[in-house]
Amino acid sequence: MSNNHYERVEPNLTPLLDMVFQLITFFMLVINFKGASLDLSLKLPVLGSARPLEKHGKLESMLLNIDADGVVKAGGREVDFEQYIEREARALRVELRLREEATTNGELPVHVVIRADRSAPFHLVNRVLKACQEQGYRQFALSAMSHEEKH
Amino acid sequence: MMKRHSDRRRRRKRDQGSVEMNLAAMLDMAFQLLTFFILTFRPAPIEGQLALNLPPPVPQTNVDPTLKFDKGNEDVLAMDTLYLNVVADTHGDVKEMKGKTNDMILEGRLDEENIQRLDRKLKSMFAEQQTTYDRIQIAVDGRLRYGELMKIIDVCHRQHLPDGTTMQKISFTEVEAGSTSSPK
Repeated sequence: MSNNHYERVEPNLTPLLDMVFQLITFFMLVINFKGASLDLSLKLPVLGSARPLEKHGKLESMLLNIDADGVVKAGGREVDFEQYIEREARALRVELRLREEATTNGELPVHVVIRADRSAPFHLVNRVLKACQEQGYRQFALSAMSHEEKH
Repeated sequence: MMKRHSDRRRRRKRDQGSVEMNLAAMLDMAFQLLTFFILTFRPAPIEGQLALNLPPPVPQTNVDPTLKFDKGNEDVLAMDTLYLNVVADTHGDVKEMKGKTNDMILEGRLDEENIQRLDRKLKSMFAEQQTTYDRIQIAVDGRLRYGELMKIIDVCHRQHLPDGTTMQKISFTEVEAGSTSSPK
């Protein structure tokens, strides 16, 4: 028998590659880029009547996370809420002017989504609401879980 | 016999210049991508929102309830605001809830039983024929925990207006801790 003759064995990787690509497709479809702006450590209140917010128009809503100590986070980082809200309102007004959309009585046609921890005292949440109102925001969406999460 | 035949055919095919891609490199890359997606995967929480229109608080004008109105003012009197005053204890729980005329609506923490009691109380207030409420204003003790306030808002939101729709116009003002009447 000759030693020079070796049969080269190669596994067929095609089905494995197919499966991996299917998994990648799945994860790409379910990836949530907005999740970065959500503070998932917050314990939201539980509210039976809470419903997903219907989006009107093309303008993005402003999302603010408020923890139990009143620390405000936006876009995944801690912010000075008064400066942040003022800056966002100013940018929105510029955008509305560019789109030639008029505001009625200076009211901004954008929802402010408040994700506040259920144990935060009301006065800490209210100072954020007031700052928004001062800048012309009128529409608020208070986030809540529709049922208690099981851990 | 058969095997030898197919081997021969395969060898002939290879000799004819068949191209075989090396999939190992692509598989490596695919696995790296898969690892990235698995590690960064965070399913979005199932959240709902309670939409509220909150104009900035304005000073309330006190209307004398004994004042007589002629027929022309009937429309003005047709709709009214239901005022609720929520006082919190030091832990941020509800201590008591009072109405506009300091009438006691609820006493004690907002447990399941008290939530149902509040619901029944509001239903009976809404069912009264003399007054038709179209909005609720809640004066909230600054110490009250946000979660407790949301429970109250939830109960208010469940109330039905005469046209069959649910209560949408809910607003709240902050009052000093311990105060019962002065909205800030």
